[in-house]
Amino acid sequence: MEPTQTMTTPTATAAGGDYDPITFSVILSRFDAIVEEMTRVLEKSAWTSILALAHDYSCAIYDAVPRQVSMYDALPIHTASLHIAVREIAEAFEGEINPGDVFLFNDPYSGNTHVGDFVTAAPVFADGRLVFWSVTKGHQMDTGAYIPSSVVASAADIYQEGITIPPMKMVEEGVLREDFFRLLLANLRYADLIEGDLRAQIGSIEKARQRLEELCAQYGTDVVLRYVDEIIGYSSRRAGQEFASMPDGTYTAEGWIDSDGFGREHIRVQVEVEIAGEEVRVDYAGSDPQARGGANGSYATSQAAGAVPFLYYIDADIPHNHGVIERVSVSAEEGTVCYAKFPASTSVATIVPSDLMQDVVNRAMVEAMPERVPAGGARCGNIPQFAGNGADGHSPWGFMLFNNAGAGGAAKGNDGWPLWYNQAALGGMKIQPIEQLELLYPVRIDRCEIDVDSVGFGQWLGGPGNICAVRPLVDEMVTITFGDAASNPPHGAMGGGQGSGGGQYVEDEQTGKRRFVSSSGAFKVDHTREVYVGVSTGGGGWGNPHERDAEQVRIDVRDGIVSREAAAEVFGVVLSADADPVIDADATAARRGELAKVERPVVSPTEPNASPWLKNQMRDGDTYELDPLL
Amino acid sequence: MLRIGIDIGGTFTDLTALEESGRAHLWKEPTTPADPMAAILTGLEGLAGSLDRPVAELLGEARLLVHGTTIATNTVIQRNGPRIGLLATKGFRDVLYFRDAWKPERFNMRFAPPEPFVERFLRRGVSERIGPAGQVVAPLDEDEVRRHAAYLGEHGVEAVAVAFLWSIVNPDHEHRAAAILREELPDAYVVCSADVVPEIREWERTSAAVLSAYVLPGIDAYFGRLKSDIAAAGLGEDPLIMQLNGGCAPIDEVLKRPVYALHSGPAAAPAAAAHHAGRRGLRDVITIDMGGTSFDVCLVREGRAARSRSIRVDQQPVGVEAVAVHSVGAGGGSIAYVDEGGALNVGPRSAGSVPGPAAYGAGGTEPTVTDANVVLGYLDPEAFLGGRRELRADLAEQAIAAGVGEPLGLDPVAAAAGVIRVVNASMTAAVRAVSVERGLDPRNFALVVGGGAGGLHASALARDLGIERVVIPREAGTLCAFGMTVTDVRHDYLQPLHCTSDSLDSAALDALYAGLEERGRARLGDDGFAAEEIRVERSVDARYPGQVYELTVAIPAAESYGPEHLAQIEDAFHAEHERQFGYRREELPVEFLHWRAAAVGRMDLLHEGAVAAVATTVAAAPLGERRVYVPALGEVAAVPLFKVEALATGSRVDGPAVVAGDTTTILLEPGDVLRCDEDDSFLIEVGKGGD
Repeated sequence: MEPTQTMTTPTATAAGGDYDPITFSVILSRFDAIVEEMTRVLEKSAWTSILALAHDYSCAIYDAVPRQVSMYDALPIHTASLHIAVREIAEAFEGEINPGDVFLFNDPYSGNTHVGDFVTAAPVFADGRLVFWSVTKGHQMDTGAYIPSSVVASAADIYQEGITIPPMKMVEEGVLREDFFRLLLANLRYADLIEGDLRAQIGSIEKARQRLEELCAQYGTDVVLRYVDEIIGYSSRRAGQEFASMPDGTYTAEGWIDSDGFGREHIRVQVEVEIAGEEVRVDYAGSDPQARGGANGSYATSQAAGAVPFLYYIDADIPHNHGVIERVSVSAEEGTVCYAKFPASTSVATIVPSDLMQDVVNRAMVEAMPERVPAGGARCGNIPQFAGNGADGHSPWGFMLFNNAGAGGAAKGNDGWPLWYNQAALGGMKIQPIEQLELLYPVRIDRCEIDVDSVGFGQWLGGPGNICAVRPLVDEMVTITFGDAASNPPHGAMGGGQGSGGGQYVEDEQTGKRRFVSSSGAFKVDHTREVYVGVSTGGGGWGNPHERDAEQVRIDVRDGIVSREAAAEVFGVVLSADADPVIDADATAARRGELAKVERPVVSPTEPNASPWLKNQMRDGDTYELDPLL
Repeated sequence: MLRIGIDIGGTFTDLTALEESGRAHLWKEPTTPADPMAAILTGLEGLAGSLDRPVAELLGEARLLVHGTTIATNTVIQRNGPRIGLLATKGFRDVLYFRDAWKPERFNMRFAPPEPFVERFLRRGVSERIGPAGQVVAPLDEDEVRRHAAYLGEHGVEAVAVAFLWSIVNPDHEHRAAAILREELPDAYVVCSADVVPEIREWERTSAAVLSAYVLPGIDAYFGRLKSDIAAAGLGEDPLIMQLNGGCAPIDEVLKRPVYALHSGPAAAPAAAAHHAGRRGLRDVITIDMGGTSFDVCLVREGRAARSRSIRVDQQPVGVEAVAVHSVGAGGGSIAYVDEGGALNVGPRSAGSVPGPAAYGAGGTEPTVTDANVVLGYLDPEAFLGGRRELRADLAEQAIAAGVGEPLGLDPVAAAAGVIRVVNASMTAAVRAVSVERGLDPRNFALVVGGGAGGLHASALARDLGIERVVIPREAGTLCAFGMTVTDVRHDYLQPLHCTSDSLDSAALDALYAGLEERGRARLGDDGFAAEEIRVERSVDARYPGQVYELTVAIPAAESYGPEHLAQIEDAFHAEHERQFGYRREELPVEFLHWRAAAVGRMDLLHEGAVAAVATTVAAAPLGERRVYVPALGEVAAVPLFKVEALATGSRVDGPAVVAGDTTTILLEPGDVLRCDEDDSFLIEVGKGGD
């Protein structure tokens, strides 16, 4: 594998007079404001819920090197390696990059994350030279894959994922290349919606282009570029201080992916993290061979996934630019599930291998610096894509359901969030209102509420998972899922318990029989007799449960988050049977005394396939399918 | 005959009396948080005293008293409301907890999820279901509602919100459940979501109902006391309450939709700004109001304040459309600090009023914006707030030197100037957020300034934004209280009718608007407005089919909507979409969700005459000199000093200069020209004239 995070010496920068700390602060906040504006434009004018609600997009500014100048609050799995994509575009069109151009690119085998992520990039010129790149990466709802989804766990190779786009000029000096655009849209389902999303991406980068030109005009290009160096240096300095304060050493951990989409289960990911002074090295060597389906990392995701946890270990105020990223070097072996060899599919690259690649870093680091490292969260399970073929007079329809997403892990000092989505999003996604779903699509949601005891138990609880029942009103509803962390649930940390894992099933209401399905798979739901039920995982707990504040445990039970039985058995809090229960102080003290003698593992589970959920749920006559295909 | 505005803020209760002549009288009384009425009553005495008459006479002459209160906002922020319950559709009681699922601050792992306002064991699911077309999918289980009522009663609930799915198209189940609750719990307050805001999106609507239930017991008691105490003091008319929609309303109407009592003070600033701007022939203004902890910005276009449907209080959505006051943590008390990486930051943490800025001498040691203004010589330590509070220049300088100067290697003056530049940059960013980022060029707007310190920053902000004209009203120090004396009565209504522009049922739309108009006009009729004083503004929430978010666009009124109206509506939407987002797709139809009607009862203004530009100006004579830091020169220089109260109509001051007053201070840079107009307000032409 080639060396990581190649550093290029700045060439497009220039001295801009004496350093003034005030101008520094002002220009730093202007860059963030520009990216914030890009983000708002994209969110509010996007067409598909993947962009508008799931926020599966990123906006960022690069300099000409290209180094990341600002990403504000973007998705780190997108942006921690996005400079590789910008460099690819710049090199492909060297000498032919002009004002008004917009480039499009999605090829994961030359620096992109996965086929579903479309990169749009516009060069920004000032004083006649290329000084910045205004860039968005947006996950499209469709890429023309062999089934109606852009995250296809069952894609056997990259060709089954649909269209691969090398760096292309989509807009040439302000004029949209209609022939290319038509070719692209002709290959995609829901072309109308995706055209809207691409226009929203272009709208966003155009805003930033305009703002960056204004910024250069106001302060002078050389001055702005000089402060770009300072901004990157500032982040580098602060990140270096943070890393230096972490205990030096080598840390290892392992974890397991539920399946590869083709029936191979419990794929192992291994990590070794080395903290050495101000630098961090993350190495995934020794992980399992690549998957047959889409659950593989690309080069770009392997680079990003290892760096992301270090972005949230450090002070949240430190701007996440090149100065931070350059301090973390990541490596993985080609041909493994972390970094696949062409032409393997990397359709689910940003989530399934990447979430676990982050997670194993958390597992490795938590004991060394418990106050910085959260417990495990959901890894994208229970985000089904539903589609109907347009029977019964409806036009073809489809949407992704986010309302059943799994929860986040606890951290020292606070319980986890519900609807965390996955490690890639870190809770940064929105759900569609139930009413809007029912207004726009022929479905009815019967239920969406907290699943009792789904939380990872601990001094601080993981966020709760939820139960969501979806009833198709017409059609045979095609359901495609692509997640992880059902059979290998989110881990608990520092004595905390694992999340529930959860799962999904289709219930036949006439027979009461249920078809359980693994976290990835494609299947159909018959509207005349069936209902889809997703039960998402809770997040992992943090700290020993018997150290949770007893009054808080009483409230957890009163509120139906934790069962009375678990309160007594795991938390050691014995309660009366009232709706608003009373603590039995003596029994609680005795039980907690016993629990204090039991040693709990620092990180659990320690073995693959540790979720008891499926076994507990299955009744006579129920079935279980692993990675079903349509 | 006069009008009175009373605005209770965190530090001061501001009172304004507006005479028929247009003359405004101002009074500031320290707020009494334990019993807000106390400050109102003593403040009224102060105000009456400044008009040389007893309170009873003042109130007897008042044709109108509008009150803005923080009581509802404080109840929410401090979470000191009563225990409340929620009835939700079975299976959906966690709508309130799940929120929109968004976790802010993505990289902050120590950010706990917000507490919902109703404990989960008091959120009860009811068997019932309505579908999107209003059809009953499952009937309401009335016995279950009775059981829940008993349960909530046992647990001491004082108010209950009822929020069922799809109540917006068929509120029968909500209304029936509310009736049962009232039977079973006669002492409890009950609020239905569809009555507060019949908009699609169950979280925001549930939140509006829950916040309403949460503040209702408190505001009901407070408004009752307000009414009786003020009547006893001599007011003949019932007071009106300032609402977050920018208009005021009678108490009984606010009690029906209590979220409208949130953010009630700041929503009056745009009314004040629009009034001042209108009288000077300015249609498009940006209003800024700089307080102790925050800097509030609102954009007024064509005389109307910008509106938003995503206003929150303490992370909780109010659900209803409101005046879009954008607030950032950049006030006089905002704390400046240098972080580990050597970057200077200002705010959002604030020294508040206790201990306040270091210069207050009340134990504060961290440097604030006010301290920087003292170090730079802008604020006279002896004459702050008309001499009612002494400022300690030595403590201000110590704080700036220790907190900013030493870490950055700057002398105190350079450090203080840096603090001002950084705070000005965040204020500029806030103004850009409401203008540039909405596709509007601030250079086409005038700046209307409120807050005691606003005048110190106004010229710099205007320069940064390319704004040429700044208006500093005489009432700048009590801008919101003044706004309450010039606001209208406003009731907002809406109704969902989902369709696209190629499938619009015109007859249904005509009927919808006939209903909303009748409701609005009847209510305003009850409020005492004649037909010719009533206007109804219509708008619609629209998007392209497939989009997730809507834009609200104004639409023409029509008895019967035809193709020409529809074309107008579509054009307005395409244009707004392009302005904000940079593209339009005219080949597509437009999807509509909710149709809105704002019924406005126009108060005949006591004085709405135009303020003519003063033809001839006379250079005012300075009272002396003060040594201040002049940003344009980058150094401290002696500049002429003027007194606000001594400047008469027609006076002119050329920058650089400081114009100091009891409640406001103005800094003029070289090239700025200030004129005092016939209203005794100040108009600054930025960077014009001079030498």
